Amino acid sequence: MAIAFSTLARRGGSRPVPLAWRSLTANKRRLLRSSAGIGFAVLLMLMQLGFEGAFFNASLQVLRALDADIVLQSTHKYQFATEDPIPTSVLASASAVAGVASARPLYADWFGLFWKDPDDGKVYLVRGFGFDPDKPVFLFPEINAGRALLKQQDTVLVDRRARRFLGMDRTGGQSELNGTKVAIVGNFALGPDFTSDGTVVMSAATFAAAMHGAAGNPPGMEAGLIKLSPGADRAMVLAALKKSVPAEIAVMTKAQLIEKERAFQADVSSAGPIFAIGTIVGFVVGMLISYQIIFTEVSDQLPQYATLKAIGYPTVYLLRVVLEQAALNGISGWVPAWLLSLGLYRLIGQIALLPMRMSVEISLVSLALTLSMCLISAAIAVGRVIRTDPAAVF
Amino acid sequence: MPSPVVVVDGLNHFYGEGVARNQVLFDNRIEVPPGQLVVMTGPSGAGKTTLLTLIGALRSVQEGRIEVLGRDLSQLPPHGLVEVRRDIGFIFQMHNLFDALTAYENVKMAMQLGHERPETMRRRGMEILDRLGLGHRIDYKPRNLSGGERQRVAIARALVNGPRLVLADEPTAALDRESTRKVIDLLKATTAEHDAAVIMVTHDYRIIDSADRLVHMVDGRIVSDVVMHDALRICEFLRAIDLFRALTPVQLTNVAEKMQKRHYAVGETIVREGESGEEFFLISDGEVDVVRADHEVARLARGDFFGEVALISGEPRNATILATEPLDTFVLGKSDFQSAVETSAPFRDQLYRTYFSRH
Repeated sequence: MAIAFSTLARRGGSRPVPLAWRSLTANKRRLLRSSAGIGFAVLLMLMQLGFEGAFFNASLQVLRALDADIVLQSTHKYQFATEDPIPTSVLASASAVAGVASARPLYADWFGLFWKDPDDGKVYLVRGFGFDPDKPVFLFPEINAGRALLKQQDTVLVDRRARRFLGMDRTGGQSELNGTKVAIVGNFALGPDFTSDGTVVMSAATFAAAMHGAAGNPPGMEAGLIKLSPGADRAMVLAALKKSVPAEIAVMTKAQLIEKERAFQADVSSAGPIFAIGTIVGFVVGMLISYQIIFTEVSDQLPQYATLKAIGYPTVYLLRVVLEQAALNGISGWVPAWLLSLGLYRLIGQIALLPMRMSVEISLVSLALTLSMCLISAAIAVGRVIRTDPAAVF
Repeated sequence: MPSPVVVVDGLNHFYGEGVARNQVLFDNRIEVPPGQLVVMTGPSGAGKTTLLTLIGALRSVQEGRIEVLGRDLSQLPPHGLVEVRRDIGFIFQMHNLFDALTAYENVKMAMQLGHERPETMRRRGMEILDRLGLGHRIDYKPRNLSGGERQRVAIARALVNGPRLVLADEPTAALDRESTRKVIDLLKATTAEHDAAVIMVTHDYRIIDSADRLVHMVDGRIVSDVVMHDALRICEFLRAIDLFRALTPVQLTNVAEKMQKRHYAVGETIVREGESGEEFFLISDGEVDVVRADHEVARLARGDFFGEVALISGEPRNATILATEPLDTFVLGKSDFQSAVETSAPFRDQLYRTYFSRH
């Protein structure tokens, strides 16, 4: 009832004149220009943020696809894609710990597997994973569905989102892995990251053959993947595992593994700062554009602002109007840029095979950056309004 | 004696600093009571606008004293000056309306600083715009208004809060004859209704004619300050009327001094047919319709008079008089009218000749 009443009162014209909003929308052509200008800068930032996100997504998505609660790997491993195998014997010790349902090996190699493009015969370095087909390690349903086929020696599953030149975009046919003929028996969708162009998944035995190791004891067990029994206490199992495996084996949850990888990519690799600098460039460009826009708007209305001062409006009111208008300019540029970036992310994702995804985080960060760039430039431009002399209008 | 709206005392003002310091106002003194329309004239550079901005609390007082609506401006901090400004109606040479806002919203910008309740703002805004002949333009943006209409919106913005002091700088410079007339009417109505003082810099003779007081400035000094006595103006009117030609200047002045100024709004009935006559009216500005038995029989304007027949004959009013424009009149009571008639034999004869030969 009270709400209905106040709505009625507002219809009667009780709301203060929305000066900033009116100024924004009065001149459609100017609005179009300003939202295009600011939107351009926002798009620059959104692209950088998208690339950054894609970079992390690309390097993390294989870890996210691991079917494990706890991961064992070498303590010396600073990033997942480095060769630092651990002995298979740790799996036996781990299995003996109470609360562990299974401990499974994951064989991996990044620098020693060469794949021949079945179409033109050229040979490329690829990433390869090997596992026991009876002990699944991935969450990809297509890999798990293909486990039976992988039991056949020299069969592989390939990543259909791998870079095109690898020729993995197929479901059947033959190719060579380190010179050994292999049959392609299926595929899955993972995508390249910034160190590998494509991925091949196979049985441990095929992996061993490709790596020229013994079938019974393949080289390169890079991780042990542990699943907990239902109802087991994760923290307790974690502590028990740490005690039962040698000191050079790191025991961590899957989330910790992902976080460690993210931290490496952000801090140690140069990728994080590169994208940050790209974002800053967009921010600075946006600040220059929005300064130009708000400066023109303020200059055009200077006599009006002086008049408001003369008739008794405090300077704070004018400050608020200018900042409000700058914020509205920002939003009017951000909205179309955000919508456009959805399409561009999709396009770039398809062309560059990058997992470009619009996230809540990217949306909020870009909106905050947009608002601050507009408000900072407005704060610089508003000096003219503060200094304007109300006596000058007479 | 009501307290003055503006008191300026010993006011000096300087522009620039050090060697470049240049005195622009010299020992200015002026006191403006409520209800007065003061017109300031003088060559450009005489300091009129500077004086106006000082009175308007738009500049800080350097030397001397200015009191506006009972507040001493030289003692006020900057935010105090801002508050004083809210009680003043400013009319600028440039209208400075926001292009993005409608006429009503521009006026509302001023109302938001006043005491108008939000629910009644729209009605109040329409009322004042209507009085300035902009009733059909309320929701127009400035770019769809003529220059005169824009200036009238700016005037509505200045007057909407019913200020007790209005400061105006060449408000009619950009206006045509019709618009100027509407503006003068509204300003005069403001002085009459709200007992407001108006100080206006202008060279527009149409306004100077209606001024209560003329202040002339030269080189930063007030060189003449003349209050236009209503009595003198009334004498001018009376002298032009045949009926009063027989009165000597002294007798005319006696009559004039007994007359009182009275304002009527548009549509008001001044005299009603059939009522008994108690007063005599002289029109100093505006127009009226004379209606007899529901038919308009005549239209009277500035310098015309009415109401004398019933006073002379003792019969009821023989017509109804309606104001068709904002009307300023000078009014003489029945007894004063009759004593004026008694003092002058030629006047009495003239009256009887005029009226009884007709009946």
